[in-house]
Amino acid sequence: MEGFIIALFVCLVLALISKYLSVPAIPFYILAGIVLGKAGLGIVQSDEISQFFSEIGLLFLLFFMGLGLKLDRMIADPKKLLTAGIIGLIVDMGIGFTAAYLLGFTLIESFIIGTAFYITSTAIVITTLIENRKLMMKEAELIIWLEVFEDIVLIAIIAILSSGDKDLLYFFLKIVLALGVMYAIAHYGKEFLVSILDRDDETPILFTFAAVLTTAALALVFGIPDSMMVIALGAALATTDPEAFEQHARPFKDVFLVMFFVFFGVTINFTAGTDLFSILILCLLAVVSKFISGMLIGITIYGSAMSGLEIWANTISRGEFSIALAVLYGSAVVGTVIAALVIFTTIVGAFTAKYSTWLRRGLTHRSRRKALMHRPHSSR
Amino acid sequence: MALRSLKLPGVGTKYEFRTDKGDTVAIFFTSTGTIQMYTLQKGCKSSSAAEMTPVEARRLGNILTGAIIEADQESVEIAFSALADLRVTIHTFYIPESVAKKTIEDLQIRAKTGATVIAVCRHDKNIINPPPSFAFEEGDAALVIGESDQIKKFESEILVK
Repeated sequence: MEGFIIALFVCLVLALISKYLSVPAIPFYILAGIVLGKAGLGIVQSDEISQFFSEIGLLFLLFFMGLGLKLDRMIADPKKLLTAGIIGLIVDMGIGFTAAYLLGFTLIESFIIGTAFYITSTAIVITTLIENRKLMMKEAELIIWLEVFEDIVLIAIIAILSSGDKDLLYFFLKIVLALGVMYAIAHYGKEFLVSILDRDDETPILFTFAAVLTTAALALVFGIPDSMMVIALGAALATTDPEAFEQHARPFKDVFLVMFFVFFGVTINFTAGTDLFSILILCLLAVVSKFISGMLIGITIYGSAMSGLEIWANTISRGEFSIALAVLYGSAVVGTVIAALVIFTTIVGAFTAKYSTWLRRGLTHRSRRKALMHRPHSSR
Repeated sequence: MALRSLKLPGVGTKYEFRTDKGDTVAIFFTSTGTIQMYTLQKGCKSSSAAEMTPVEARRLGNILTGAIIEADQESVEIAFSALADLRVTIHTFYIPESVAKKTIEDLQIRAKTGATVIAVCRHDKNIINPPPSFAFEEGDAALVIGESDQIKKFESEILVK
């Protein structure tokens, strides 16, 4: 318990520092966990309490992801998004999977690393777009929608991974049934739900908390993965009043997700048999592969390498979803790799997102100078 | 002139406005509560941005709606062109320590300056048409109405002593 309080206090200090420097806080939390935990000083141990809090953090992260899936607000040009999304999926997941497999990971481990390698951090990408005042860039809208695309891919992957060794038909039947029940509740109970949410006492926040935890508990009873069910709950409730649910769920998500990151760091164990070489290769490739996919997207969609550069610069950071995959399905070795991946890419990503405009300007200046030198009438 | 609005997942609501001359103004109400305004001049590649709090955005909105003829820092002059070009100035002042604890009557504001205190804002509460017995506190924001000369007199005779 003392360890838990220490971790909480360290996180508070780190959060203040990261906000002051306006850099993403996620790598700080993981690093703090590593320093305080098994791999470092060993002050903080993972126990039942911390595991419970981490789990709540993960549930609320997934619930939020579900709430974001409002299908009625669709992008203006779905074909463009689909093209860009599929390029990203094939290039990034392909490179991540192949590299991990060649470095000696098993097939399933490589698949998890490949997915973690592909999924960028929605939270970091969107906050940095806002903080760096890039919302008006023509690429910004596509980047924002690509995050939604990745969320949908992630849900499919979670469904595949959690079905694993079970009877597939029976498993998906259960999921469809549970989904149907939730949508029915959201549809027929909409007025009742909205009337609860509209109250200004403790009921809306209590209701939100209870709904998420009850769904997770019920999912376990019925043998369905709780991660899937919480996402589905979010998606079903998004048809009622998603803004209100977001508002009431945010405090839980904010606090427990930080705990989730720290205790992910705490459980990292460098003696689990990962060599530094493969970690380093995967980290570098994570930046390179986003460069390749970004360039391809930029050239196919906008016909411009500069757009590709901008997409790359803003989508390097991996974060919460990669860690969620590591916690849900990864072994200790995979956990270490993904921790390194997240820390490395968020640090690189913070710099590229901040200085991409300079980079672009520098590149265009150089090419303009070249163009000036080749001006025909200058050689008269 | 073309206005379009759309919701961006995770970001908030975007309003984009294109002027007849081809410039673009985009406003984002972000989910963090701040408001970002971008302007992009026609033919320019990169936009410039300003980030505002909701209060600042509302102030900007007031200026843009055009009720204001001359906007000083905290002063508004309204011209009624139908009434022989009557011009009235409303000015906000923060009450200094020297005036604190004194009432409007004590200060003889009307007699000395001709201006009138029409409202006082104290800790986010508004007192409209304060009576003569109303006593100021330090840090109150007083809304004073009058001709621009009367306002200047108010500033020099009442606030600065």
